[in-house]
Order: sequence, then structure tokens, then C-alpha cells
Amino acid sequence: MFESEMLTHNLLKEYVKDLVSKGQRIDGRGFQEYRPIEVREGTFTKAEGEAWIKLGNTQVLVGVKADVGEPFPDTPDKGVLVSNTELLPLASPTFEPGPPNENAIEVARVVDRAIRSADAVDMSSLVIIEGKLVYMLFLDMYVLDYDGNLEDALTVASLIALGRAEIPKVEVKDDGEIEVKEEKWKVNLKDLPINFTFVKIGDQLLLDPVLEEEQVSDAAITLAIDKEGRVCSIQKKHGKFTMEEILNAATIARSKWPEIAEKIREAI
Amino acid sequence: MPLYVEKKPEVLITEDGVRTDGRKPHEMRPVRMTVGILDKADGSAFIEWGGNKILAAVFGPREVHPKHLVLPDKALVRTRYNMAPFSTPERKRPGPDRRSVELSKVIREALKPAIFVENYPGSVIDIFIEVLRSDAGTRVAGVNAASLALANAGIAMRGLVAACAVGRVGNFVVCDPNHDEDMWGDADMPMAMLMEAEEITLLQTDGPMTDEQFREALKLGRNAIRFLYEMQKEALKRPYRVVERSVRGVV
Amino acid sequence: MSESVILVKNREVVVPGQPLAKGRFKLGKDVYRDDSGVIRAKKLGLADIKEDTVSVVPLSGVYIPKEGDIVIGIVSRISGSTIIVDIRSPYQGVIPIPRGRATERVDMRKYNLKLGDVILAKVKAFDGSSSLLLTIDMEGLGKLEGGYILEVEPAKVPRVIGKRQSMLTILKEKTKSDIIVGNNGRIWVRSPSLKELLALEKALRKIEAESHVSGLSDRVSSFLTQELSD
Repeated sequence: MFESEMLTHNLLKEYVKDLVSKGQRIDGRGFQEYRPIEVREGTFTKAEGEAWIKLGNTQVLVGVKADVGEPFPDTPDKGVLVSNTELLPLASPTFEPGPPNENAIEVARVVDRAIRSADAVDMSSLVIIEGKLVYMLFLDMYVLDYDGNLEDALTVASLIALGRAEIPKVEVKDDGEIEVKEEKWKVNLKDLPINFTFVKIGDQLLLDPVLEEEQVSDAAITLAIDKEGRVCSIQKKHGKFTMEEILNAATIARSKWPEIAEKIREAI
Repeated sequence: MPLYVEKKPEVLITEDGVRTDGRKPHEMRPVRMTVGILDKADGSAFIEWGGNKILAAVFGPREVHPKHLVLPDKALVRTRYNMAPFSTPERKRPGPDRRSVELSKVIREALKPAIFVENYPGSVIDIFIEVLRSDAGTRVAGVNAASLALANAGIAMRGLVAACAVGRVGNFVVCDPNHDEDMWGDADMPMAMLMEAEEITLLQTDGPMTDEQFREALKLGRNAIRFLYEMQKEALKRPYRVVERSVRGVV
Repeated sequence: MSESVILVKNREVVVPGQPLAKGRFKLGKDVYRDDSGVIRAKKLGLADIKEDTVSVVPLSGVYIPKEGDIVIGIVSRISGSTIIVDIRSPYQGVIPIPRGRATERVDMRKYNLKLGDVILAKVKAFDGSSSLLLTIDMEGLGKLEGGYILEVEPAKVPRVIGKRQSMLTILKEKTKSDIIVGNNGRIWVRSPSLKELLALEKALRKIEAESHVSGLSDRVSSFLTQELSD
């Protein structure tokens, strides 16, 4: 994924390519097979909704926190969703401490785009007083252990965290004072736009790349599919694709949606 | 605008010494420690203490970047203490603030005396502490977890460093202050010791204590630290015992 | 006080700082004597008490080069006169490229290396802190072609090899693979197919996890038989 940063050796490239030409992957999976997804039991944060998941050896923790504030001036009838990703230095020998770099920012925006483009969160339901006061949801994505495919892992975790989020109800009294009530409300998750990341090795598409596959890949692309099977957001990463390859990827992603959606629903 | 408003409790501690969470002055909150929770880090540990959930990871000894920081005769030790945005009731802006910069240094100074830095000249040992959920005493919890992570990484150490905070609420010296006591108590004194010689490597305080109270606090802290040290040892040995039992069971 | 006391059982898991023995003992590996004369562990590992020497066999830890070690490295930089090699250690290895008369004494074809090439090298000299000299001149050293690289904890390499290569022999025979083990925890493998490679990977994870429980060779042997039976 972050090509220049990691030293890969030539045997890795050769071996992975050789296996792919025989229809195999270095961990024995099928080309369209996801690694096991595990949702950790327990509460690990003070977020309103959270999820700590493992995708193979990749581990991410996402927390949704709520606040209230002014809406953006161009969308007075919608709440605010802010997405942020931290590639924690403890997740990989190649992550350095510091503000989010272009990779962290891209990942955050790709996850955010999937959620926003599918209108997964009913943003108008976040309004308290149109134009004046809305709920603001902060989606903080923490990468704890990096073994490939952050986009898909973070999207799954984000959807679970949003689905689980319980937000204190805020009311505005007649005198204009803001009151935070005991009562909680759940975010209305209207859709599950799931990101599917493919890498291209040789001329084959592999779903859910593990770190080594990302390192030797010729190209990578992430597509988000919604519950209707529509493609709602796309991000081509490095390299190049033919149109056919992209359409093929979309078809594969569509067919895998029910499986991942089920895991998300179970966790919520 | 905060969705969570703090209210100072009416009574922080009763005349009989009962605290806001029902504990007696000398009682600690429940603690659980696990090692080896991350795959890519050289060493890692997770600590749950009261409501704290803190992850520590170690990389190293490894090559130093940028090169001008290299110490030719010993390892460079770097520490980063960081609080997750979702670790507090009100979201915390990501990135270091002055408090986390100070804590990073204090924690580094607590752990460095334990490490045989002369064994790894020209290299760096990086320690990362991430507070996922904060509930008073994060720096001492971080020290406990970081010690485990260092041992888990196979780094040469004189001993483990165990830590605990002690506080004063009114006339009571209390062990392991909770959030209320941390916010509204009269003194908070985090401590760490390099075991088994019990040398103090971290000591700070932020409120007045008489000589008698100070002595009592140090003793209370030391006893709590001894207990936590036993837990650290158990956490390090546990995975090996578990494997041994499962292997023998199958055989 | 001249009494000699052993405070732990042999092969017991010990933590850094744990007292191992008091009195007249020789200091072996990864132990130290404190100010009061007590011998303590420096690392998390297994106590190793042999006659009068107290050591600790670490259960994990980064690779620190030793002269004579065989390592598997990755070429990370090539300049006019040197080849820099990553050997999965805080210290980078250096191979000087022979010039002038020296080129007559060596097989210069070996020095035809590219970035990312995997090589088998020997540690010629290490000053402990900055200068690590490697050589590929000996027979059998140099670029590795084909195959794949697996990694294990450097601390577990002796267990992967075994006494008199017993474990390595089991691994090679059961998985019908060519295997070269580097002291730095990198293992070059060439297996007949992916099935054997995956089985070998699992066996290595098993060795890493169970290295402290005796009878490992038998367990690994039966494991591989089972894994590769169909």
C-alpha cells in the first residue's frame, strides 16, 4: 500500500506472481475470499458507538463520538459527519508519529465517501434546529495493527460503530438554553455501503489483499457497494486498470456484499 | 458544546473512609493485564484498570531515523503517550498537547533506568502508549503496560517497572485515585518503581501533604506497586503456561 | 555469605529482574549480577542452569549479529563501492565490492546484485554498534534464486534447527522442501507446492509458540504428517 516505504524482496514478488498464475495466494485463500473477520467483545473506549475488529491480522478500532454545534453554512438542513484516521505508529514499523499524512487522509476520505455517497446516515435526522444547531458525529478510525487492506476493515468497523452508537438527546428549551437529556437515541443507519479493495497482480484481481500482496501489487482499487448492489464510491489507488477489470471487480464486490453485510448486522 | 457535564460529588470520602466508588482508602480498582496483543509490534501489552483501557507497544531495538539522533554507545529511548479522541467523554482533538508531551517524557524517564541501553548502541527503542479509554491514572497504567511490552519484545532490562498513583482526600491517603478524586481531591501522586530493588523512577505530586501523609502515601504506593508487579509477572508467564497446559492436554 | 543457592527450576519461565541464583556461579547469557551479588535475568526467557553457569534463553528479541552467523539479507542499497543489506536487525550489513587485485580472488559474478535481491551471507565482523561487515565469497553464499522467505523470531532459530539439526531434518523431510535457516530469523524455503509451504508455515508458528514445552520434535512431526496426509 505505501510502496516506497517498505523494503520488499524480489523473491516475494516472483513467488506471489507465480502463485497467482496458478490460481493461488500465499495464505491459501481463493482470489475472492476474505480473511476471517472477528469483532472483539467488550467496551474499549468512551465513544458513543465503537467497534474493534480483526481482519486477519489487521486490527482497527473505530469510535463514534457525538457533539452539537452549528451546521456547515451550505447545508443548514443536515448534521455534520467528520471522519479522521490515525495510522498509529504502533501498527507498523513504517508508520511514523505525527499528523495524518496523505495515506491516512486518503483512507479516511475513502471510508467517509462510501458512507456519505450511499447516504448511509440520515443526515437530516441529525438536525435539532435547522441552520442553527445540529448533531456532529466524529468518526475516529484508529489503526492498531497493519497487515493490509485498511479501507475495508475501517469501513466495516465504522458501520458497526455507527450502528451501535447511542447518542444523548439534546433539546433546546424555550429560553434558548441547551439541555442534554438522559434519553439516548440510535443513529438511523439506512444502508451498509461496504468497501471492497482489490489488488491486481499479473492480470488477476485479488480481493482483500494481505500486506505482502499490497506490496507487490501492480494496481489497487477500492469500490463501495450499497445494499441495492449499486456502486456508490470508487477510489483507484496506484497502477492502471482496463474497463473490463473494473466492471469485473464491481461484479465480484456485489456478490460478496451479503456476506460482509451479515457480519456487520450481527455485530450491531 | 459538551454533551457531558461533570458534577462534583457532594462527598468525596465519608468519615469512615468510604470513597465515591465504594472503595476503602487502601483498595485498588480491578486490574487485568495481557501481553502480545498486536502482531506487527515487537512487543505489546494491554491493561484494563478501573475504566482505563490502555495499549502499549514497543518497536526495537531498531535502526535510528533520522541518523543524527544516533547515540554511539547506547540505545536511544523514545516514548509517545497519546490519548485517543474517543478516550474521554468529550472528544479530544487528535494529536499531542502539552500534557501528553510532558507525560511522554515522564514515562520515558520512568522506564529508561530499567533498560540496559548499553546493550544496544546505535539503535532506538520506541515505546508507544495509546490511551483508548481514560479513567484516572493513565500514566501509571501506561508505565505498567509499557514495562510488559518491553519484556515481551525481549529487551534486556534490569527489572520490570511497576507503577501506581496515590492521592490525598481530606485527611485520608488513598490508593489508586478514581476520576472524582483525581479531579477534586487534594493531592495526586503517581509513582513508579524499578523492581525488585524498589528504586523510584517516577514521582510527581500536585497537592500538599504533611510529612506524615507523605510517608504514608509512599508506603501505600509501594505496597500497591508490589501487588501490581506480581500481576505483571503473572501476565508475562501466563501465555506460556496456557500453551503448556494445552499441549500436555492433547498429549 | 558464601552459600550458593539456586532460586529457580531449570527451564522455568523467568521475567527480567527475577533472581535466579545467589553465590558462586558463573554468569552465562542474558543475566547480570546486582549490587548485592544476586544473579538476575535480563530478559523474559527460560532459566538455564548448567553446572555452575546461570543463563537465560530468551523467548523473544531482535536479532543482534554475531561473527560467524549465517544470515539471509535483502539488498537495500547499492553504491559504487558497497552493497548495503537489510538483515532484520537494528544494524545494517555492509558488503564491500572488491576492486583492483581483489577481483581476481573472488567470483565477481556474485556481486552482480540488484535492489531487493535476497542473499545468503556470513557475518565477517561486527563492532557491536555501527559497523557490520558481511561476506558472500564463500562457497554456497550469494544470491538466492527462487523459493520464498518465511520469518521466525530470531530467538527461536535454535529450536527450528534442533539438536544436531533434528528439527530441521523433520521439517525438510515431511514437507519435501529445501530449507535454509538464517540466524537472523529469516528462512529460505523451496517447496513442491503451496500446500507444503502452508504446512511448513504452520509448523514454524507451532515451534515459536511451543518452544518451551519439551517433546516439540515429536509434536511437529505428527502435526506435519496430519497436515499433509490427504
